Amino acid sequence: MTDTAVTEPGLRDLSEEEFVARYGAGRFTCGVLANRGRYVAEHICTDLLHRAFSPIITFSQDFVGAIVGPPEQDYPLAAVNKGNVIFLGSLSTGVRNTVWEYGIDRLEPGDLLICNDPFRVGNHVNDMCFIRPVFHAGEIVSFVVIRAHQLDIGGIVPGGFSLMKKNVYENGLVLGPQLIFHRDEPVKELMRTILDNTRFGETLLPDFHTIRSCCALGERLVQDSIERYGIEAYKGAIRYNTDASAASMRAAIASLPDGVYEGSDAVDSDGVDTEVEYRVQVKLSKRGERLEVDLSGSSPQSRTSLNATALDAQTAVALAVKLVLDPFSPFTSGIYRDIDVVVPTGSVIGAGPPAAVMFYFEIQSVLINAILRALEAPLGERAVAGAYGSTNLHTGEGLNPDGTPWFSAAELEAQYGAWGATDAGDGNNHSGLATLNMIMPSVEEIEPRVPAMILHREYLPDTAGPGTHRGGSALMKQSLFLSDGDHYLVPLHFRTPSGSGVHDGGDGRAGGSWFFEDESSDASTPVSEFRVPEPDDFDGAAVVSGVVDPESGRLDPGGEFAFFGRKPIWSERRGSVLRWITNGGGGWGDPLERDPEAVRRDVRDEYVSIAGARADYGVVVSGDPENDPEGLELDLEATERLRREMTAERG
Amino acid sequence: MSDQNPVQEAVSVEREPVAGACSDCGKEELMRYPVLSEGGWYQAVKCQSCLHSESREPDPVGPVEIASVVLV
Repeated sequence: MTDTAVTEPGLRDLSEEEFVARYGAGRFTCGVLANRGRYVAEHICTDLLHRAFSPIITFSQDFVGAIVGPPEQDYPLAAVNKGNVIFLGSLSTGVRNTVWEYGIDRLEPGDLLICNDPFRVGNHVNDMCFIRPVFHAGEIVSFVVIRAHQLDIGGIVPGGFSLMKKNVYENGLVLGPQLIFHRDEPVKELMRTILDNTRFGETLLPDFHTIRSCCALGERLVQDSIERYGIEAYKGAIRYNTDASAASMRAAIASLPDGVYEGSDAVDSDGVDTEVEYRVQVKLSKRGERLEVDLSGSSPQSRTSLNATALDAQTAVALAVKLVLDPFSPFTSGIYRDIDVVVPTGSVIGAGPPAAVMFYFEIQSVLINAILRALEAPLGERAVAGAYGSTNLHTGEGLNPDGTPWFSAAELEAQYGAWGATDAGDGNNHSGLATLNMIMPSVEEIEPRVPAMILHREYLPDTAGPGTHRGGSALMKQSLFLSDGDHYLVPLHFRTPSGSGVHDGGDGRAGGSWFFEDESSDASTPVSEFRVPEPDDFDGAAVVSGVVDPESGRLDPGGEFAFFGRKPIWSERRGSVLRWITNGGGGWGDPLERDPEAVRRDVRDEYVSIAGARADYGVVVSGDPENDPEGLELDLEATERLRREMTAERG
Repeated sequence: MSDQNPVQEAVSVEREPVAGACSDCGKEELMRYPVLSEGGWYQAVKCQSCLHSESREPDPVGPVEIASVVLV
């Protein structure tokens, strides 16, 4: 597809002798060692998963394990586990920055270095980066790295997920490069600093010890690899691994037509007001095997914690480009070899101090959507439709009726939702954002720990973007709170649909959030007397966010936008119900070309109503989907007539 | 900071013209600006026509100013 000459010979073109001369070992050995690196990363993370106390590690799996190569190779990211991909893009640069600033000559065996400063290592202050040097014959030959979200890191809001935080000082404890363990012994001065300035120390402290031992396990496994195969082969395999993913990405970039492609997307607000839009603008310039992604033209950094750093921008660019062009190659730092990211400092996607960086993942999501939009035309049939757009994060805290405190973060919102469709098929209904392949904690895990009952999780008909392949359907989720509490709500993409359709597919419907406020209950009110609103019931609900009819509170694309930030804290009584409806995913391809039988199945499964089948797909289905779903009848002759009429109306 | 009036103008990266021709395609469209790539930050001089990098100087800290980095 490229019209610029490809110059570099591929790895597969090398003779065996050339390969050994370049990498210090043969193809087979390098392949074994590359896979063994990924095994080491998986093994240490399995260990962490089994032994951590923090629910955001054990249940949500908000962490990653990695092997970073030696300083002489410029700290390449060589191997990662199948963990949270949101950490991947900044690991190499983050480790390089941390080790450089701490001083590589000061590191000793058994040391565990940390840093959580978003401007040095990307992500946010909760995401602590733990780095253990691996020594061989007195030389650092690798780093075993765990990046793991800490349940709390101080700041003005428990857990940290709030747009009330207005600068780095309110955001949480910033820890520059320093040791948390020295020669496998805790550095008590730093431990005291952390535990005296954060909540949930009873969880953080044992997890620090667990992470140290996991990294020590990784060190032993790396040293075992070196003993088996030799140091030259070990280092050569790291170079090979990064070269292989660089070559894969280079070929993927070359498959795009040369050109300049632009797109954008925006979040609803930074929580202060609705006057200032926060937009990410992207311009992709592609020539031959080279790609430049310029984010100039993006909005300035926000007044709250709605900011991402340049390192987060780099991660999002890699994930978006891999998603559409090169989804199957292992993620290493080599994928950036032919991709330059140009990030305006002081923007919402390239913030600098003293801006607070917390909701960087929301800005990453907007950037990924902007890239998908920009690449729709050049990708043609390979274009990917947009997803649900925002994690809609919720944090709640309060006192139980017995006076004990309760806390919940990132589990009672609508963090997972609908993906866009592709040429391969319909979009998923319920996955994490492209940057956040975490796991939703189960109801059985949440309810014993949090005074809440999860009432509904169900898909809503006619919310998916129609298409030959339809988008994922919006999820309606409701939680009933059994204690009074303060709630911090951050829904960031309900003002406009995020699920953009591609290749003539339609957009997914924008969603919203509501609180059914209970004004009369007290600690003695039986649970059986609480209101359980049915999905179609909006009566008296306070609209948290969404474009709604102001009278009924129902979603209405022609209605008014309800701004969630009008209440920085939603203080609700026992018996209140929080409702979410996610955005629908975008459709792929002309909906009039969708297989009518697939539409009948969608009606049976209540992804599409009988009226929606007719209006969106030109498919005539009759029957009673609720009471007799298998008795639905598809009228193919009427469908053909209707589709001809709809095609003629399009002109 | 919270109390600042929001600056609503978009933010862009300045590109500084550099004299000379691209050694790859010959066009005289060289510009200097910071880029983030494999290996972190660089001050790059790049051809705006073919995206060839005429030079790339590593910049460990990058354009974001962190007060305590002076302690290195």
